Amino acid sequence: MAKNLPIVPTAKPGSMAETPAGSTWREKRPVLMNCTCLEVTLYCPDGALSIVEGKVSLDLNLCKGCGICANECKDGGIQMVPEYTGAQGVFPVKGEE
Amino acid sequence: MTLRIEDLPKEELFGQGNGGCKACGAAIAGRQAMKVLGERTIITIPASCMATLGGNNQKTAWKIPFYHTLFEMAPAVSSGIRAALEIQGVNDVNVVSWGGDAGSADIGFQALTGAAERNEHMIHVCYDNEMYMNTGGQQSSQTPLYALTSNDHIGKPVKKKNMLAIMEAHGLDYVASASIAYPFDLMEKFQNALANPGFSYIHILAPCYRGWQIPGEKTIEFARLAVESGLWELFEVKKGVRTRTHEPSLIPVADYLLPQGRFKNISKKAVEEIQTSITKYYGRGDK
Repeated sequence: MAKNLPIVPTAKPGSMAETPAGSTWREKRPVLMNCTCLEVTLYCPDGALSIVEGKVSLDLNLCKGCGICANECKDGGIQMVPEYTGAQGVFPVKGEE
Repeated sequence: MTLRIEDLPKEELFGQGNGGCKACGAAIAGRQAMKVLGERTIITIPASCMATLGGNNQKTAWKIPFYHTLFEMAPAVSSGIRAALEIQGVNDVNVVSWGGDAGSADIGFQALTGAAERNEHMIHVCYDNEMYMNTGGQQSSQTPLYALTSNDHIGKPVKKKNMLAIMEAHGLDYVASASIAYPFDLMEKFQNALANPGFSYIHILAPCYRGWQIPGEKTIEFARLAVESGLWELFEVKKGVRTRTHEPSLIPVADYLLPQGRFKNISKKAVEEIQTSITKYYGRGDK
């Protein structure tokens, strides 16, 4: 008695990751120095941090620049740097002010 | 069942490209939970931040079936999904309803208590940011005493409703509290809930940095301070046996309360009263 359901518009699984809007809001971006604490990937709200071959890896397309990873990394292995720097930028770089 | 980070699945079933604010506590809770729930899961979400950040129009951040239900009925919809699966003989699917504090404790409570009473085979998750953040931060029954909200200028005059005690009183086989700052504790509780063939209730404290008026990067830090100060107890009740899963270090509650903008009106006397009650609670040896 299987009935064919009408075809309704449905979203493709995970399709928001193809056009992430959040990365355009970013004021600061994380830079991986030598982060060894893998737990930090579980604190990322956006799935931008993942473990690749036993190391933390970052996908900047997904990152909104919240800074949780830099705050939670125990050995200070992640640092936040201003997104816009230099002559065109709005945030001054340390030492160039 | 001790989890290790190496054993967790690499696949991101939720979170990538989500439409939430930066530093969203709810998104962190969703990601951590999906690591355990796995791809054979159907989730229903009532009107909440979690629903809006999960997708709009032809896009979704979920890789599992996700139903955006009306506000007061996520556990009821999940009950129906479970019934439909049972009648088709599908037994390997986890059915989850995931509400905010309004969708669980206030507007959504009648559907929740009904599903709990019928002991439906499902998990209900309440991700608690302690106010109605999706509509602009109004006061909820889960807002703690003295906290400022957008529709109140002196702070909440009454206590937070104890949802965990209410759900425990339904006589459920699994009730647990969790925090996004303790991901392994949270994920083990989801494993326990999956092993329970009846109704399970998990209440997650997931801070919202905008509502709590804290810096975004400190979302996890404040979730941890809430636990370590003793104000949010991590425990589980398995078949009536209550176990505390994390023993807090009991830092002064002032370290948790005072840096938050929502507690800027709190008086010294009030902080002392909270401290006294916390010390008394943990000192009475209820474990």
